[in-house]
Amino acid sequence: MRTPAPKTSRQRPATQEPDGFDKLYRDHVDLIYRYAHRLCGETESAKDLVQETFLNAYRGLKDFRGEARVSTWLYTIASRACIRMRRKRKGEPQHELSLEDFVPTSEGEFRLQIPMEGLSPEEALQNKELRQALDQAIDKLPKKYRMALVLRDMEGLSAKEVGSIMGLNERAVKSRLHRARLFVRRELSARGITNHDDHKSGGLGS
Amino acid sequence: MTKKKTAAPKKRPKPSSHRHTPGQGHCVDLLRQLSAFIDDELPSDICREIRTHLGACPNCEVFIASLRQTVTLCRHRPVPPLKSSDRVSMRRAILDAAKTQ
Repeated sequence: MRTPAPKTSRQRPATQEPDGFDKLYRDHVDLIYRYAHRLCGETESAKDLVQETFLNAYRGLKDFRGEARVSTWLYTIASRACIRMRRKRKGEPQHELSLEDFVPTSEGEFRLQIPMEGLSPEEALQNKELRQALDQAIDKLPKKYRMALVLRDMEGLSAKEVGSIMGLNERAVKSRLHRARLFVRRELSARGITNHDDHKSGGLGS
Repeated sequence: MTKKKTAAPKKRPKPSSHRHTPGQGHCVDLLRQLSAFIDDELPSDICREIRTHLGACPNCEVFIASLRQTVTLCRHRPVPPLKSSDRVSMRRAILDAAKTQ
């Protein structure tokens, strides 16, 4: 189940300041904060990104012609701002993810499982170890892959919308998404996450 | 985290010898298409072919299940809500920054 994007109008927002901006902010700040938090993984960076996004939106409001949905326009501004933002906490790998890296090299690796059998995703995510592994896996993804994963699998946008936000064709979006998912899958299963019912350790000893 | 004894000692796989040999090429081809498969974006004949392969290849079946679970977990990853005080203070900071241009 995807989180539905909120209803947004294609109408041009009013440009009278401050009313036009206030409406834009009021209607979309939660959406953009959620997106920013998913991208940044923590609150302070997310707030910086939200402010940068709405500051740019404030400046661009008078030129916004309503050709895209307001939410798509804001997602685009936020995504560009995120690419520009330097990561403060640690260095980020910017390498390309090759599909070859994800081909399992042993039968054991093929059969690694994520410990959530019989659990709803909400219940599974109450397992602190699994939750942390998920957060860390997403955090470790190079930004352009993380962005595709967040927009598509968390914000619930179509590949076409993600392409328009990231300036990519659909094929490139799907390719990045697939690599991002394979990366997260490997991180989740290869860490030997255990739960309290003596589930098999799925670790590769890494 | 518990370490479990396994029956077979862990060996570093020789290049390709421990690869998923049953239909190896097929499994690798399949790996390239798995997201499109789980997103239901492939033509029906290719989907049928993949389903047939999955029925005969437990390794790929487990792999695809874990990829589906990954997507499900991502979709349900919780985000803390924005605090009202942050909503107010950010608005003020944005307008202040805009006016000092």
